[in-house]
Amino acid sequence: METERAMGEIRDFKSNKGGKPAREASPRRLAAIIAGDISGYSRLMEIDEEGTHGRVKRIERSLIEPSIAEHHGRLVKTTGDGFIAIFDSPVEAVRCGIVIQQHMVGRNASLPRHHWIEYRIGVNLGDVIIEATDVYGDGVNIASRLEGLAEPGQVYISGAIYEQIKNKLVCGYELLGDRKVKNIADPIRVYRVLPDPAAFSRTRKRRENILIFLLSLTLLVIASGALWYVFWLPHGKPGHQASVPVSQEMPKVLPSPAPPAAKQAAPLPQPLPPAAPATPQTAPQPQPVPSVAPAVKQAAPQVQPVLPATPATPLAAAIREPEMKTMRGGSFTMGSDDDATEKPPHQVSIKPFAISQYPISVREWNECAAAKACAFVATGKDDAPITNVSWSDAKQFVAWLAGATRKAYRLPSEAEWEYAARGGTQTKYWWGDQFQPGMANCKNCTDIAAAEQPIKVGSFKPNPFGLYDMGGGVDQWVEDCWHKNYQGAPSDGSPWVEGSCASHVLRSGSWRNDARYARPANRDSYDTNVRYPTHGFRVALSL
Amino acid sequence: MKITRLIALSVVLTCLSFAAWAQGKPAPKDAVLYFVWPQDGATIKGGFWCRFGLRNMGVTHAGDDFQNSGHHHLLIDVTEPLDPNEPISQDKSHLHFGAGQTEARIELPPGKHTLQLVLGDAKHYPFNPPLVSNKITIRVN
Repeated sequence: METERAMGEIRDFKSNKGGKPAREASPRRLAAIIAGDISGYSRLMEIDEEGTHGRVKRIERSLIEPSIAEHHGRLVKTTGDGFIAIFDSPVEAVRCGIVIQQHMVGRNASLPRHHWIEYRIGVNLGDVIIEATDVYGDGVNIASRLEGLAEPGQVYISGAIYEQIKNKLVCGYELLGDRKVKNIADPIRVYRVLPDPAAFSRTRKRRENILIFLLSLTLLVIASGALWYVFWLPHGKPGHQASVPVSQEMPKVLPSPAPPAAKQAAPLPQPLPPAAPATPQTAPQPQPVPSVAPAVKQAAPQVQPVLPATPATPLAAAIREPEMKTMRGGSFTMGSDDDATEKPPHQVSIKPFAISQYPISVREWNECAAAKACAFVATGKDDAPITNVSWSDAKQFVAWLAGATRKAYRLPSEAEWEYAARGGTQTKYWWGDQFQPGMANCKNCTDIAAAEQPIKVGSFKPNPFGLYDMGGGVDQWVEDCWHKNYQGAPSDGSPWVEGSCASHVLRSGSWRNDARYARPANRDSYDTNVRYPTHGFRVALSL
Repeated sequence: MKITRLIALSVVLTCLSFAAWAQGKPAPKDAVLYFVWPQDGATIKGGFWCRFGLRNMGVTHAGDDFQNSGHHHLLIDVTEPLDPNEPISQDKSHLHFGAGQTEARIELPPGKHTLQLVLGDAKHYPFNPPLVSNKITIRVN
C-alpha cells in the first residue's frame, strides 16, 4: 500500500504539468529493483509453444503478481519471459524473490526436467526514474545484469542490497566476488542468496559427518576391544568366528549357544540358498554369538518380508518393492460435511491403480538412501514407518523407486488415497460412524507409550481393501497441492496440482492427532519442503 | 557384520545425542514474540492477514539450525498447555510456518477466537523457556 501511495504521488507530480518545475524533477527515487527472467525460454518455446506460453502466463498471474503485491512491491512491466518490479524495502524485494523461486520448485516438482520453468532473479538497490509503464536508470541495468549472472532457480543480489538486509533476513549469503558487467563502469559485488536448507547446511553437514565418523570410529574401537575380550576368554578362538563369511557355518554355530534363538533362526537357512550369498541380508546372520541372542530375534523379522517379495528376477532381488494392493477403482463420494476443508462432498471416479499396503518403512527408505537417491539415512526401527520426510523427500523416493524398478511408482492422488482409505464405505470411519478404540493409532486411542511411537507398520486391523494404517499412524503425503476445499477439484481421480504449490496435502492424521483426524475424509496441509516428525507417505502404482 | 552393526549403533547414538541437543535450546533473554496484527480485542470482518513480529531473533526455515533463530507457529483456540519436551503439534489448530513465513492469511468462523504465537527451533521444539507471544482474543464477524 505504501508503494501504491508513493507511486500515486509521483504520477500526480507528472500529470500536474502546471506545477512547479522543482516537483517535476522528482520522479527519481531510491528503490529495490527485482529483475527476473526464465532461463531457456526459447528452448521451452521450441518444445511446446502454446503450452509454455500458457504456463508462463499462469505463473505470472497466480504467482509473480500476487507475490509482488504481497510484499508491497509494484510490477513495472513484464516482457515475454521476464518481469521487472520495484520495492520500497530491500528486505521485501529479496523475500519476494525467494518466495517466487521456492514456489517454482514446487510447481516444477511434478514435471519432467526438460519442462521445468526456472527463473533467474537479480535484485539491486539504486536510484531510478519511474514512469507509469517503465523504470529507467543504472540501478535497473545492474539488476538485469545480476539476473543474467544468476543460475536458474537462484536469487543474486548486489552488495548494496546485501548491506541493507544482512542482519534482517536470516538466509545464507554466498559472496561470489566483484564482477565486471557490461556497460557499468565499476565492478559489482555479487552475492548468492541461499534460502534452501540443503545449500544452507551443506558445510555444517560436512562437519557433522566428520563428527559422526570420528564417534563411530571411537565406538568401534571400544566395542571391538570389548568383543575381542569376550570372545577370547570363553572360546580361545577369536578370529575364527568373527570372520565366518557366509551361512554354511551357521547351523553349527547356532544350536550350541542359545536354543530359543536357534528356533527363531531355524527357518533362515531355507530361504537363504536361492538368495545370492552376497546380498546385504546375509550380513547380520553370522552374528549368533552368545552375547547377541536378542539381536538374532531382530534379524528374523527382517528377513521374513523378503520371502514374498523375492521372485526370480535379479532386479527384484536388488530392490525390495513395497507390497502393493490392486484397487479396482470405480465411483465414490469424496469429502464430507464434517469440516470446512472437506466440503463439498462430490462424486469422483477412480481408475484402477495399486497402492502400497503399508506406509513406506524405514527399511524401504534406507534402500533409497543407500542408493544416494534419498536425502538422508533414517534411524529408527526397520519396520517402523519412515517419518520426518517433506513432500519433496517423498517425491525423491518415488522417483528413485520408479527408476530402479522401471515401474510407474508415484505418490497417490488425494482422491485415490481417500478411495483406498474408505475401503468401499461411506461412513465416518471405515468401520462405521462411531469411533472404536484400538482400531487406529491416534492420540488417546491406544495405550502405546509415546516413546515407542511410531510403532511398526501394520500393527492395527486392515480396512476392507486390505490396507493398513489408512488413518492414524503417520500423516501421509499425496501428490496434490493444497486447496482449502474441493471447489473446482477434478472429478477423474487425478491429482489437483494447479494453484499455489507452496504446501501439499497430508492425509491420515498421525499418532499425535485425535480420532477426528483418523477419518478417511480428513485432510490437512503442510509446507512442501519442510520436514516434520509425524509425516510419512505411501506409494501408488499406475496400472 | 559386527562392524556394520556397530557403525549403525554408533550412528544411532550420535543421532540420539544430536536429537537431545536440539531440544530446549535457550532463546536470547531479550527476544520478544508478538502480533503485529491483529491487536488484542480486535474485531475483524472475514479473513485477515495475521502478521507475526519477532524482536532480537531471526526467522529461518524449519530444519535450519542457527543460533538465535526459529520459525513461527500460530496456535488458534488452543487451551491445553504447551509441552516443552515434544515437537509443537501439527494439526488444524497448530499452524506451522516452517518455510519462514512472517504472515499468513487466516480465515476463521464467526465468533470469539484466541491466537498465540510460539517460536519453534529447527526440529519444531519450543525454546527453553518457551518463547511465546501474549495470547490475544479477537472477534470475527
